[in-house]
Amino acid sequence: MGTYLLKRLLGAIPLLLGVATLIFFVLNLAPGDPTARFYSPAASPEVIEQLRRTYGLDQPIIVRYLAWLRAFVTGDFGSSLAQGRPVIDIILDALPNTILLTGTSLVLVFLLGVAIGAYQAVRQHRWADRVLSVVGLFFYSMPSFWLGLMLMLLFAYQAYQWNWPIALPPTGMTSIDYDFLSPAGKILDRIRHMILPVTTLTLVLAAGIARYTRGQMLEVIRQDYIRTARAKGLPERTVILKHALRNSLIPVITLLGLYLPFLFSGTVFVGTIFAWPGMGREIVNAIAQRDYPLVMATTFLFALLVVLGSLIADVLYAVADPRIRYD
Amino acid sequence: MDLALLTEARMRGRIEDVVARSRRRACRLVPLLATLLAAACGRDAGAPRAGGTVIIGMRADFGGFNPITNTDQYTDEIIKYALFTPLVQYDENLEVRPYLAESWELLGDTGVVFRLRRDVRWHDGRPVTAQDVKFTFDLAKDPATASLIGSAYITEVARAEVVDSYTVRFDFVRPHAQALEDFWWAPAPRHLLENVPPADLRNAPFNRAPVGSGPYRFVEWRANDRLVLERNPDFPEALGGPPALERLVFRVVPEPATLLTELLTGGLHVDIPVVPDQAARIESDPNLELFSFPSRTVYFIGWNTRREPFTDARVRRAMTLAIDRQEIIAALLEGYGRPAVSTIPPWSPLYPEGVQPLPYAPQWAAQLLDSAGWTDRNGDGIRENAAGRPLRFTLLSSDAPLNRNVVSVVQGHLRAVGVDAQVRALEFQTLLTQHRARDFDAVLSNWVLDNFQVASAPAALFHSRWADVPRSANRSSFANPRADSLIEAGAAETDPERARRIWAEFTELLNQEQPFTFMFWLDELAGASRSVRGVVMDPRGEFVSIANWSLGGPPAANGR
Repeated sequence: MGTYLLKRLLGAIPLLLGVATLIFFVLNLAPGDPTARFYSPAASPEVIEQLRRTYGLDQPIIVRYLAWLRAFVTGDFGSSLAQGRPVIDIILDALPNTILLTGTSLVLVFLLGVAIGAYQAVRQHRWADRVLSVVGLFFYSMPSFWLGLMLMLLFAYQAYQWNWPIALPPTGMTSIDYDFLSPAGKILDRIRHMILPVTTLTLVLAAGIARYTRGQMLEVIRQDYIRTARAKGLPERTVILKHALRNSLIPVITLLGLYLPFLFSGTVFVGTIFAWPGMGREIVNAIAQRDYPLVMATTFLFALLVVLGSLIADVLYAVADPRIRYD
Repeated sequence: MDLALLTEARMRGRIEDVVARSRRRACRLVPLLATLLAAACGRDAGAPRAGGTVIIGMRADFGGFNPITNTDQYTDEIIKYALFTPLVQYDENLEVRPYLAESWELLGDTGVVFRLRRDVRWHDGRPVTAQDVKFTFDLAKDPATASLIGSAYITEVARAEVVDSYTVRFDFVRPHAQALEDFWWAPAPRHLLENVPPADLRNAPFNRAPVGSGPYRFVEWRANDRLVLERNPDFPEALGGPPALERLVFRVVPEPATLLTELLTGGLHVDIPVVPDQAARIESDPNLELFSFPSRTVYFIGWNTRREPFTDARVRRAMTLAIDRQEIIAALLEGYGRPAVSTIPPWSPLYPEGVQPLPYAPQWAAQLLDSAGWTDRNGDGIRENAAGRPLRFTLLSSDAPLNRNVVSVVQGHLRAVGVDAQVRALEFQTLLTQHRARDFDAVLSNWVLDNFQVASAPAALFHSRWADVPRSANRSSFANPRADSLIEAGAAETDPERARRIWAEFTELLNQEQPFTFMFWLDELAGASRSVRGVVMDPRGEFVSIANWSLGGPPAANGR
């Protein structure tokens, strides 16, 4: 296992380097200019030229690439052109917020998705299964930004208008008076702010997991060993939870790795709509402003997380299925 | 979780405005807010009170708070009206008035001597002196800082000289119009920035934790989340004294619909900027007030005067006559805009009264196109020239919703006079690259005045010396000797009456030549809770009165 992990990690290095190089060239060859944010009627062409020299943008792309690569492999991400501070500071500010959002969502996506899928499989063709299928398909096919706005309309705006006791804050991570709250109040405040963005991310993705789990379960339930388990008189509960569910989960775990990219792209929309100060917002702003160092670092980080995510999925795969050995 | 606890949680997330709205219920239910509410419940509604926090929602985060390197408009307002003290300010008639400089003496038209107030201090306690002013001026002049002050405000000022600690003298390069307005910028503290190399000034840690000299002090800035300022208790009475508000919190909410939701549900006091189709919603809410005021942004279609068919001024003029700009203002801006005729805004003292924009007259447009040789020769509804080339071109715009809608309407108007405009919406950066490279037929674009020195815009946009310079603003490559001489004469004219006459003549020339079709001056919109008092918004900006804002109780139902 240890050797396998090491091999996988070493193999990831050229992959990530390739990804970063690709992003660098796509980004730098795309039309645009980081100094455009200083686009101002009064800024004279000389001033714009001076800024381009300051940022090294007057150099040929290959020179810029080598300079970037040299800094990058030593862990120097440079300074953001738009924010005027080290990229690493920006990431350290934003990444914990993103991990909080995506981590919570990921856990909920799997708990909810697997639970609903398994329930549906057991209740196949009954009305509960049908209703859940329709509801699942509804959320599965819904764009997250629209769902987010609708949830906000209902639970932030209308709930407030109608004086519901559960009106939720539509934006941000904490209230303005957060610093003055009691410790319990702080936790409650954070949870309230997370409900809408987490629900948005979770509903869309959990629907997919539920459908997948349901399909897997139905297949497993028809297997001979399930019939054997029932025949030897095990309670139905044990049959479903221990024998059927555990076996149907193995392929679902693989989905974990595949779902990470969706989750990250989801945070871009959710981060914009709910003003969540995470990586999604930084990426959107950085691309629009052609803030090259920040785009490079953030997209690279997402690529890294996706690679790590699929590695973790493979490891979990071995944990869930003792037949699988990585030697 | 019981109802009381849920309600408490809900109330906690809201702010005083909401607390006040549901005051009676809240007073029973929310013991934890007792201290806050004691003030709200016990007080005579409507009277402004000291203290309190006002929360302002904005679409984008600020840039760095460095007066020398900043280029962002809202950041500029915070620098000038909240955190720092400019040498001079504008009053409501856009006349220059003393601020950090308590008086000045013009040395004919060759220079000026400013005498500074002695009671303004940096927020770390040191006095603001003439040394700081000269330091800021010199850095702004240094090309390495690529300063907007250097390139937009003080191009006509040659040097600064410290006479004594509170007196500073500036020499002009040449006599020029609006000379005092060169000094609408705030000095930065020399003792905190003198060791930063000029080329690194843009990335100085100071910019993210500034020490200013204005009515508010910096507290905290979390990128893309919030900026917190607090009142400066030592701000001199002569400049308005310490603000009534205890704190200002600026929150960043990028999505307009979300921002409006926050305003409507009381999560914010002030929403900047509001998009036109949200205006009616704010106006219909008795607790909210809609502010609309003329902006410094003009929209125009720039024609490439080096490309057929726009080499011919008659064709450019016909385009303007064929576009119903009033309809666009009424339909797309919900009326929040005004017709434009040049880059000189209607509220400017230099605005050439009496020069009318070209009317909407499609029949004249048709006649002009006929006389320029463009007629429909094959009966397909599109005009052709003698060589059979159809009158077809690409009209570029950015992918912003307003811009896309405007070009679609323009396309319809032009089609009615036999002109085929193919519209293309490009991502902003891509559009800018093409526009700068002069690789376009026509572009819907806009122009934001950095300051009130309106005499400088025509030079950048229309002077022939910029016609072929790659990153310059004269992207229509307009070159007209008479325009050049009028632009130079207008910029050098120090007498307002004579200057107005020169700009009137220049505007008449623009009406004939039409390198641009001026579409409209945008009105800025903002929404605010009526509990915030003392809000003034005008061409000087959203935050011009921010030092005078205060929180009152909710207005009585008939008190509007």
